[in-house]
Amino acid sequence: MGDDTPVAVLSSRNRLICDYFRQSFAQVTNPPIDSLREAAVMSLETCIGREHNVFHETASHAYRVLLPWPVLNYVKYQTLLGLDQRYYRNVRFSLNYDPESLGLRRALENLAEHCVTAVQSGATIIVLSDRDISRDKVPIPAPLAVGAVHQGLLKAGERPNANIIIETGSARDPHQFAVLLGLGATAIYPYLAFQSINQQQETGALEGDPIQLRKNYRRGIRKGLLKILSKMGICTMASYRGSQLFEAVGLAPEVVDLCCPKVSSKINGAGFAEIESDIRKVSANAWVEQTRPIRDGIYRFMYGGEEHAYNPDVVMNLQQAVASNDWSDYRKFADSVDKRPTLAIRDLLALKPAAKPLPLSKVEKAEQIFPRFDTAAMSIGALSPEAHESLAVAMNRLGGRSNSGEGGEDPKRFNTERNSRIKQVASGRFGVSAHYLVNADVLQIKVAQGAKPGEGGQLPGHKVTVETPPHHDIYSIEDLSQLIFDLKMVNPRALVSVKLVAGAGVGTIAVGVAKAYADLITIAGFDGGTGASPLSSVKYAGIPWELGLAETHQALVENNLRHKIRLQVDGGLKTGLDVVKAGILGAESFGFGTGPMVALGCKYLRICHLNNCATGIATQNKTLREKHFHGLPERVMNYFGFLARDVREILASLGAHRFTDIIGRSELLEQLPGKTAKQQALDLRPILASAATRNQFEPYCTEASNPPFDQGRLNQEILAAAKDALERNEAWSGQFGIHNYGRSVGATLSGEVARLHGREGLQDGQIRLNLSGTAGQSLGCWNTPGISIHLEGDANDYVGKGMSGGRIVLTTADVHRERARRNVICGNACLYGATGGELFANGQTGERFAVRNSGAHAVIEGAGHHACEYMTGGTVVIMGPIGPNLAAGMTGGELFLLDPNGEAERYLNPEFVEASPLEEQQFDAPRRRLKALVTTHVSLTGSEWGRKVLESWELMLSHWVYVIPKNLAASNDISQQDVPLRLVKA
Amino acid sequence: MTRKFDHFAFLSRSREDPDVFPLKVRRSEFREIYKPYSQEEAADQAERCLDCGNPYCEWKCPVHNYIPNWLKLAGEGRILEAAELCHETNSLPEVCGRICPQDRLCEQACTLETGFGAVTIGAIERYIVDEAFKQGWRPDLSHVRTRPWSVGIVGAGPAGLACADVLTRNGVSVTVYDRYPEIGGLLSFGIPDFKLELSVMRRRREVLEGAGVHFRLNCEIGTDIQAHELEHMHDALFFGIGTYQPVEASLPGMEKGGIVPALEFLIGQTNHMYQLDIPGFPHINLAGEHVMVLGGGDTAMDCVRTAIRQKAASVQCVYRRNRENMPGSPREVSHAMKEGVKFEFNAQPLSLIHQNRKLTGLEIAKTRLVASNTGRARPELIEGSEQVLPATALIFAFGYRPSPPSWLETIGIATDESGLVRMDDHLPGQTSNPAIFAAGDMVRGSDLVVTAIADAREAAQSIIQYLEVKEPQLRRA
Repeated sequence: MGDDTPVAVLSSRNRLICDYFRQSFAQVTNPPIDSLREAAVMSLETCIGREHNVFHETASHAYRVLLPWPVLNYVKYQTLLGLDQRYYRNVRFSLNYDPESLGLRRALENLAEHCVTAVQSGATIIVLSDRDISRDKVPIPAPLAVGAVHQGLLKAGERPNANIIIETGSARDPHQFAVLLGLGATAIYPYLAFQSINQQQETGALEGDPIQLRKNYRRGIRKGLLKILSKMGICTMASYRGSQLFEAVGLAPEVVDLCCPKVSSKINGAGFAEIESDIRKVSANAWVEQTRPIRDGIYRFMYGGEEHAYNPDVVMNLQQAVASNDWSDYRKFADSVDKRPTLAIRDLLALKPAAKPLPLSKVEKAEQIFPRFDTAAMSIGALSPEAHESLAVAMNRLGGRSNSGEGGEDPKRFNTERNSRIKQVASGRFGVSAHYLVNADVLQIKVAQGAKPGEGGQLPGHKVTVETPPHHDIYSIEDLSQLIFDLKMVNPRALVSVKLVAGAGVGTIAVGVAKAYADLITIAGFDGGTGASPLSSVKYAGIPWELGLAETHQALVENNLRHKIRLQVDGGLKTGLDVVKAGILGAESFGFGTGPMVALGCKYLRICHLNNCATGIATQNKTLREKHFHGLPERVMNYFGFLARDVREILASLGAHRFTDIIGRSELLEQLPGKTAKQQALDLRPILASAATRNQFEPYCTEASNPPFDQGRLNQEILAAAKDALERNEAWSGQFGIHNYGRSVGATLSGEVARLHGREGLQDGQIRLNLSGTAGQSLGCWNTPGISIHLEGDANDYVGKGMSGGRIVLTTADVHRERARRNVICGNACLYGATGGELFANGQTGERFAVRNSGAHAVIEGAGHHACEYMTGGTVVIMGPIGPNLAAGMTGGELFLLDPNGEAERYLNPEFVEASPLEEQQFDAPRRRLKALVTTHVSLTGSEWGRKVLESWELMLSHWVYVIPKNLAASNDISQQDVPLRLVKA
Repeated sequence: MTRKFDHFAFLSRSREDPDVFPLKVRRSEFREIYKPYSQEEAADQAERCLDCGNPYCEWKCPVHNYIPNWLKLAGEGRILEAAELCHETNSLPEVCGRICPQDRLCEQACTLETGFGAVTIGAIERYIVDEAFKQGWRPDLSHVRTRPWSVGIVGAGPAGLACADVLTRNGVSVTVYDRYPEIGGLLSFGIPDFKLELSVMRRRREVLEGAGVHFRLNCEIGTDIQAHELEHMHDALFFGIGTYQPVEASLPGMEKGGIVPALEFLIGQTNHMYQLDIPGFPHINLAGEHVMVLGGGDTAMDCVRTAIRQKAASVQCVYRRNRENMPGSPREVSHAMKEGVKFEFNAQPLSLIHQNRKLTGLEIAKTRLVASNTGRARPELIEGSEQVLPATALIFAFGYRPSPPSWLETIGIATDESGLVRMDDHLPGQTSNPAIFAAGDMVRGSDLVVTAIADAREAAQSIIQYLEVKEPQLRRA
C-alpha cells in the first residue's frame, strides 16, 4: 500500500509543483544514514551572510548569523530582516504577478534578473514572498521562484553573496521544505502553516500553548528534513542546499532548464502554460467566497477527491471475484482497473492487438505463467502469521513464490507447504541464519523498498519489529557483491535477488548488481510498499516503475547482461493487462503485494501501523487474528488463476504463443493522447525506445543462474573433506592455509550443516576448522552450532556476520602475541546480525562491531566507532579502546568495558543505555559472567593482555564499566541472574 | 477536553444503539422510539470508527457525507464543527440520521459491519445535529456574497429543501412553495412521528428561514398560483413534488370495500395529531380492527406500526417474498416485529373475502422463490397452499408511481411514458425547459429521501451554473 494516487502530471486535479519532484535516495552506490541513531553526524545548521574567501582572513568573516535549522519562526524572521543593514541588507520581492500582462516564464525571468541586480548592488538577503495576494494576481509557485533566482545568482556568480529567504504559504510538509531547500532556498518562513496551527488551536482541534505547538511543528519539519537528507546519505544542510537531488516526473524541459537544470525529467510534461493555467484555476476558486477548502483525498480516498487505484469499488470487486471464483466477477474487477481514469503511466499506453489473434489453446498454459508470479515481501512482523502462511500456501500450491519479508520465519514452516520460497535479507537481519537461508529457493536482498526507499518501516515497537535504514555491510557496490557471494556460498542452490526502487540512474545500479552476480533484480515503483510507511516517503520518493523498468532493461541489454538475469517488477500490479504491459516494458517476473492481500480480505484500511487491522491481516492482536481473519489460501489462488487467464487471453489477442514473445516488444504499445493538457504534454517515446533496445542475445533471462567468477575453491575443499563426517554426524577437524582472496570461508560448511542437521546444528566443537594466514572477507559468516573456526593470523571485514552458533577464535601468531592488543585483528562490521555463538579475538576490531547482535557472546581487545549499535542480545566484552557512538540504540544484551581512562563517558551514546561501575553492581552474577568469558578468551586465544587482566583481577575490577539498556537496568533482570553461558572445555 | 484516542475501541466496545423506550410506551405513543445519546455514549460509539483508508461508508452514502471526519469530531466532543461538516454535504442531516436506511447504506458498508457491528453512524449523526442546534448553533452564512438572482422552488419536501439550502448558501434568494401548512412534504406527513417527529421539521424550518429562505405554504400550484406566473416571478425554477400515485392492485373483491389507502392513512394520522385541518385527509382510526398490510417496503412498515399504536386488534404484514428479499430497511422490520406485528412471508394475496359487505379476510397462497434473470428472485405460487387470513382492514403499500400534474407540460417540462420528468443531458437536474430544474422522486421514481437530497443538491449547483452563464441576459432584462 504505497501511493495509489496518480503522480502530479497525470492527475486531473491541480497539484502543487512540489508534487512533481520525487526525492532522490541512496541505494547501493552509497548508504543511507540512520538519522536517529547517528544523530551526531547530522546537522541542519544554516548560515546567513555573505561568504568570503576562506584563505583571506578578514573581520568580515564574522558577519555571519548562524541558525540551527532553516525553518524560521516569526521572531527569527523579523530579527533577520532587522539585522545591521551594512552587512545584511535585505530586499523583498513579491512572487505575485499579473498573468494577463506577464506570463509565468517572463515573471520568473524578471524576478531572477531583479534579484541579481539587487545582490550586485549590495543586498545580502533576498526575501521572496507570496504573501501580498490580490484578485488580479497569481503567485509564482515558490519552488520555481527559488529555483530560478538560485540559478540566476549562480550564473551571475553572485550566489555566495546572497541568501534566499522564502516567505510562503505553500510550504507545509517536510517534502515541500526539502524541495525549496534543494532548489536553493537558504531558509523558509512558512507563515500560513503557523497561522493554520493558530487557527486549529483556537477551534480546539489542537490543544496546548500555541507557542509550543508551533515549536513542535518546526521540530517535526526538522526531523522530516533530517530523514530526507539521510535517505540520500547526506549529513548536512550545507551539502543539501541547492543540490537538486530530485527527479521530476512530468515537467517540461523549459521549466527544468530555467529552475533546476540538474534535475532529470525524462518524459516531458507540464510546461509554463500548463502550470500557469493550474495556478489560475486555484486562484480563481480561492476568491469565490462560498467555496469551502477542498478536501482533496490525496492521502486517502475521498469522494470527489484525487483518484485512488485501490478505491472502494476496486477492493470490493476483487473480493467479490475471489470469493465467487466467477470469471465475470473478475472481469468486473479488471474493468474497474483497466478502464479507470488515467492514474499510472501505463494507462496512457494502449495495446495494439494483432491482426490475427491466436486461439487461447495455442497460448502457453497457466502453469507456465504461475512461476512468473511472486508475492511481494511482507514481513511476519507486519502481517499476522495466519495471513503470512496463507500467502505461502497459495503460492506453493500454484508454483509461484511467496516472500518471507524481513523478520525471519518460523522454522516449523520450513519443508512444508507453508514455507516461503523467497527469504528476504534486509538491514535488520532479523532471524537471518544459515538454517533460514538454506531453506529458500530465492534469497532477496532488500536494498530499498518502494514506499520508503532509504528507510526502514514505521511499525511501532508494540507491533514487533523496528527496521532501520542501512545495511551495515553494504556501503558500496563491492560490499553488495560480497553479500551476494556470502549468500551463494551458504546456499549454492538458491538464486540471489536484489530489490531496488525505481529512480534516476537505477539502470546503472542494476548493471552493477548484475555484475555483482545477482540472479534476479526487482524494480519496485513508488506505488509499491506498505501501509506502514512515513507519509512523506509514500508520497514523494521513488518514481513510477514504467520509467525505472524500461531504463533497467535497456541498461542490462546494452551491457550484454539481460540474458543472464531475471528482471522483476513490483508496484501496483492488479490485472493481466498490467502484467502484459510490464512484460512489454522488459519484465519477466512480477511481484504482487496488495492484490493478494485484498484477496485475503484486506480492505485497504491504511492502518497497518496501528496493529488494529480489523481484517486480522496486518496485526499481531490475538483476538483479531483468531476471530476476524478469514483469509483462505484458495482466495489467493483464485486471484492468481484469474490473472493467468487474463494474461493468456491478452497474449492470444496479441498473437503471442509464449510470454517471452512479448518481452521488450514495445512496438505492441502506443501512446494515448491523454485527457488533460498536462497528460497531452507527456512524451512516452523514451520509455518505449528503452524497452525496445536489442543485442545479440534474447531480451530475457535464458541462463539458469549468474555464477560468480570466484567459485569459492577453499569452501569446496573444506566441504569435500568434511562431507562424510557431516553426513555421518561424526567429529572432524581440518587444517587449511588461507589468503585474503579466500572469502566467506566456512559459509558452505555452515550451509551444509544447517541443511543436514537443522537449526540445532551439531555438538559443540564437533567440527573444527583450523586456518592460518589472512582471511578474506566474511570469515565464518552464517556460522552454525557445532562449527569452531580457529584462525591464526588476521581477518578482513564481516567476521562472524549472521552467525547463529559455534565459535570463531582469532589468534595472533606466538611471535607477535605481546603486541596483539594494539593490533587490529579483524575488519569492519564483524558479528553484524549475529544471533548466537561466540567470537574471541586476540586484538582490536574495526568499526561497527556487533551491530544488531542479538545473541552472540564476544570478547575483543578494542573496537572502532559505532560498536554494539542496535544490539538486542548477547554479551560483548571490550578489553581495550573504544570509539564514538558506542551502544547507540542498544536495547538488549550487556556490554563490559575495561575502561581505565574513562572513555566510556565520552563515547557512549546514552539514549538507550546506562553505564555504571561493575564494582558497584549489587549482584555478583555479571562479574562471574565476565570472569568466565575472559578466562575462556585467554585459554582459547592465549591473549597476553587477557592473562594480565586475570592475574590482577581484583585490582582491575574498579576499571570495568557495565553497560546495559535502561529498561533492563530498571528491572534488574539481567544483573541478578546467572545467564547460562556455554563455556568451553579447554 | 479531548481524551486519548483508543485505536482498539471497536474491539473492546460493542456497537450500542441509543436506548429505546420500553415496548409499552412504543406500542401506544407516537413519538420517536430512540432516546438521544448522551455525550459520553456518542463519543464512545464514534471512537469505534477505524478511520479506514477507504471510507466505504462515505462511498456508499448517496450524498457522500464525510462520515469518518465527523465521527472523529464527535469523539472529541467538537460538536459544532461536526455539525458544520455534516451540513457541508447534506442539507437535512438530522433527518437522514433518523430515517435513512443506514443498514442498507453507510452502516452496511462499514468495515466493522462484518464481525464487529458497524459504527452507529445514523444515531451519531442525529446526535451531532440535535446537540448543535440545542447549543444554539446555526449555519454560518456570514461569508456568503449575495447574488442578484431569485429562484422559485415548488415542493418543500427533501428535494426542495435541499435545493433551497444549497442556493441560499450560495447567496441566491429562494422562495419555496408548498400546498401543505408545514414544510417537509412526506417527511412531515408520510413518515410517522415514531420515526421522525414533526418538531424536527419545524426546527429545520426555523433554521432555513433564519438563513433567508422564504416559504409560501398552503399554496397549491395550478390553483393558488399558476405555473407560468412563477416563471415570470423567478430567474429559474426548481420542482421537487414527488410521486403520489399509489401502485394499484387489482384483486377480486376489492370493489366491495374494506380498503384503506396507505398514504391517506398516514397523512390522516399526522393531520389529526397536530390538528392541521388539511382537507381531504380525515383521521382513519383502525382501533380494534384486524389490520392487514400488503407490501414489504418502508411505507408498509410505517402503516403496520401506526396501526399498532392506534390499538388495532391485530396487525399482520403479507409479503410475496421472504424476509431477506424485503426492499425496505431490515431495522424497520425488526422494530415492527418487536412491536407485535405478525408477518406472513412468501404469501401472495388472491382475493378479498367479505361477509355482509364487510371485509373479513384475505385469501392468499404460499409462494416459493425461483431464480430469475432480473437478478432478484421471483415468487412462484405453490399449488394447493391457498388459505384465508382474517382481516377487517386492508392497506395496500406497493409503492408510488409518478403523478405529473397537468400544468407541467404547459411550462415546457417533458415527461417520459411512465410520467417521470425527462432530464436534459446538458446540466444535471435540468429539464427540457432550460430555466427549470427538477429532482427527487418525480425524476427518479420512488426512492430514498437521501437520494432526493443528493440529486437536488446537484441540481442546485446546476442552477447556479445556469444563472452564471445567463446573468448578462438577466441583467439586460
